[in-house]
Amino acid sequence: MWQQLRRRFGGPLAVAIVSLMGIWLIAMVLLPQWQMIDYSFHPSLLPAERGGVKDVWSLTNYATFFHNDIHLAIFFKTIWSSVLVTGLTLIVSYPLAYYLAKVATPGQAALCLLLLIIPFWINEILRTFAWYIIFAFKGPLNELLLALGLIDRPIRFLNGDTGVLVGMVYAYILFMVFPLYNAIESLDTNQIRAARDLGAGWGRTHRRIVIPHAKPGIATGCIMTFMLAAGSYAVPALLGSPGSRWFTQIIYNWFFEGGDWNQGAAYAFLLLVLCIVFVTVIMRVFKVGLGDIAK
Amino acid sequence: MSSSRFFSWALKAYLLVFFVYLFLPLVIMAAATFNASRFPTVTPWTGTTLQWFSALWADSGMWSSLVNSLIVAIGVLCLALPIGIASALFLTTVDGRGKSFIYALILSPLLTPGVIIGISTLIFWRGWGLNGGIALTVIAQSAFIAAYVMLMVAARLQRFDRTLEQAALDLGASQWQVFRRVLLPYLKPAILSAAVLAFLQSLENYNTTLFVAGYDTTLTIYIASKVRTGLTPAVNALALLMILFTVGLAMIYEFKRRREAARRLG
Amino acid sequence: MDGRVSLRQVAMRFGDFTAIQPTSLEIESGEFFSFLGPSGCGKTTLLNMISGFLTPSEGSVTIGGSDMTRVPVNRRPTAMIFQNLALFPLMSVYQNIEFGLEVRGIDRQKRRQRADELLELVALTGSGDKPVAELSGGQKQRIAIARALAVEPRVLLLDEPLSALDLKLRQHMRIELKAIQRKTGITFIYITHDQGEALTMSDRVAVMSEGRIQQVADPMTLYRQPQTDFVASFVGENNRFPGRVMAVEGELVTLDAGLPAPLVGRSATPLEPGDPATLYIRPEQWRVGPADDRRLPLGGVIQSEHFEGAWLTLEVALDQGPTIRAQVPHMTPGADTGAPLVVGGACRLDYSPRQAVVLAGTLHEPASEEAVNVAAIA
Repeated sequence: MWQQLRRRFGGPLAVAIVSLMGIWLIAMVLLPQWQMIDYSFHPSLLPAERGGVKDVWSLTNYATFFHNDIHLAIFFKTIWSSVLVTGLTLIVSYPLAYYLAKVATPGQAALCLLLLIIPFWINEILRTFAWYIIFAFKGPLNELLLALGLIDRPIRFLNGDTGVLVGMVYAYILFMVFPLYNAIESLDTNQIRAARDLGAGWGRTHRRIVIPHAKPGIATGCIMTFMLAAGSYAVPALLGSPGSRWFTQIIYNWFFEGGDWNQGAAYAFLLLVLCIVFVTVIMRVFKVGLGDIAK
Repeated sequence: MSSSRFFSWALKAYLLVFFVYLFLPLVIMAAATFNASRFPTVTPWTGTTLQWFSALWADSGMWSSLVNSLIVAIGVLCLALPIGIASALFLTTVDGRGKSFIYALILSPLLTPGVIIGISTLIFWRGWGLNGGIALTVIAQSAFIAAYVMLMVAARLQRFDRTLEQAALDLGASQWQVFRRVLLPYLKPAILSAAVLAFLQSLENYNTTLFVAGYDTTLTIYIASKVRTGLTPAVNALALLMILFTVGLAMIYEFKRRREAARRLG
Repeated sequence: MDGRVSLRQVAMRFGDFTAIQPTSLEIESGEFFSFLGPSGCGKTTLLNMISGFLTPSEGSVTIGGSDMTRVPVNRRPTAMIFQNLALFPLMSVYQNIEFGLEVRGIDRQKRRQRADELLELVALTGSGDKPVAELSGGQKQRIAIARALAVEPRVLLLDEPLSALDLKLRQHMRIELKAIQRKTGITFIYITHDQGEALTMSDRVAVMSEGRIQQVADPMTLYRQPQTDFVASFVGENNRFPGRVMAVEGELVTLDAGLPAPLVGRSATPLEPGDPATLYIRPEQWRVGPADDRRLPLGGVIQSEHFEGAWLTLEVALDQGPTIRAQVPHMTPGADTGAPLVVGGACRLDYSPRQAVVLAGTLHEPASEEAVNVAAIA
């Protein structure tokens, strides 16, 4: 491979290319990751003690986690909520993706895509903040519901998980729509027509024809949404309450309030493992490979 | 068939609700900027005002975090662009057994949760004496932004006609000259798009930046912290300005892109 | 300007596959030299070895008297016209032509001057500021030539440059290329699979097949005196008669090819009675007459007839022999006397033995060992 590079670009440029890549992949991706994992297996020590006798490979950080009921509860709650968010996003996105891929004319589709993309050029924080305003105790949503007579007292949306869930679906919807859209788009429309022609109702057509074809898109969308949800900090921080903390918030606390980076690293590693497990499970269930990063 | 008509009506209703759901929060947030109420909201509307813009203007914390964000974004450009371009050149030139492994490695930052990138960067560089701050933020953000740059440049690079390189060599150009005069000009549009994307992604990043910013708050961190402490519609004013800026930039970018595509076809 | 090209025992191997068998060749300075052969014969590989895009597995490449075998592409005194032209799409005509001069550090004024001279040479004066995309196929072709000539190469390499053009343009460009070559005196090395091109334009042609040079000669010699079975069959059309030598008298060889009468032809190499040999008669060498003309030694039955204006092409099944193709002028003197030639009818044929070529060997072997890897000057 080095020869190929040298032959095309000449010595100096090839060296530059490899150096830049090396700096990136080694110093900015691999080593930090490795260091974090290593940290998680070492106890937290004062600067003076590092490298000394007490610096041994140990599982204390993980033991701490498994013995902490609250953290365990939050961890599983995070998993469950992320799955919920993923499922909700999928349900909400599917009709839109189908519409864009199969029903809309090219002009309509282009317009819709543009309209979809515009909110996403805006900062995640700002979009979450917008929901904060809406969900406020004296905010417009409550006022609307009161005015319509649907409730007689304002609901505390920001207490508990409701706000977080809605906010996350809102924040990550595009990451589900796009892969779905790409996958459905590649389905030969005639297959749908054939199914209808043979007498299949819409439910069956979707179940037997569209969805199986769209599996890679569904998988990609679920993977991305889950990972964004599980790893999200902004949304739970802004829209959640102390009673509904997210796992990432706990990790943050270990670093900046507890001062125990090793513990934090262990928790972070757990999050990473969770994501990897989820990705692998989805890839197995949907039988998808790594060649599906169609951004 | 009436079932089909029902579906088409249902679909249209669904689309309407969907796009309302998508845009309404932003509209409300923008509207709240002009409400004199001390807490950002549109209900109750206590009076139309521009006072929050002047409050924003006077907010020195906002200005310093804006400056930090810009410095970081420029730093990310300087770091992520060369790395991304180099990686794109590498991937489109070589073939071999290690290639798919390297490709997977390059894409891995895109699949890693932002907080993990932030944490790992923080931990690693402390060992080298670099603590939270602008430099560390640049490094952490570049770790995954470089991957986006790579994807965008590689997409264009793959359609490059390599006989042009051969022709340039044949005419006597050195390999460096071939790169500078034939390849780089061809890549310019992709590099520019990648730069815009990198810049915007850097500005709006939160999850990763949170762990590595130290005392050099960026704009997003500033906004988030304001929401939980001392919230006033001044934040809305900032949000509105940022929205206008981003959307404006995005629309210019989209129009240019569409015009380029049309010109290439027509 | 010394534009000689010498290939000495040059070979190219890719793993187990030998693309070019050990080959030696001398190309004269200022020659218009062509490599002719079917796809895959190795002509492009040879061109790439001369231009520097490939380094030969064995042997040496000498250009202008200096060994260039290990010299990289950008330092050889050669310039190439690529099959897809490879004009730089983002640059104007001027920038394309001046590219080679620019990388050599020549200043703007001199570059512009030279570019204008070349535009005049290729008859495109005034097109300098146009973007390349606005040019027609023929115009692009000429700009590619101008760009290559700008760097004053000793050898110009042309890789099937006219294959993408339509017929009329191709014929026009052939004349132009020849004129430019004569005017500049640069050695042109031209590769093509089109015989017409090779034969009309070249001083000499090397016919290639499967990595070997079959024969090198000027076009007329190639046509009249092919030295291998491949050349005899590939260049123009030929009717083949494999057989065994019966008698030899000087140059003339009598051959038993299974027909009622033996065939006589001329052999360039000495043969013995009993040797296997093949006799070749070109379609236009046949004389076809009515069935009652007993002066004509061979007989046959006409299978088909194709009218082509000045020519009539006949497929005739010879008595006890193969089916041959004959090309006769449509209006032969005396054609309207005697029995007319009809499809299905009998006819008589004659040919000139002095024009018929005899090569030693049969279908699957080259005519002689020396004909292979030839550095011949025919």
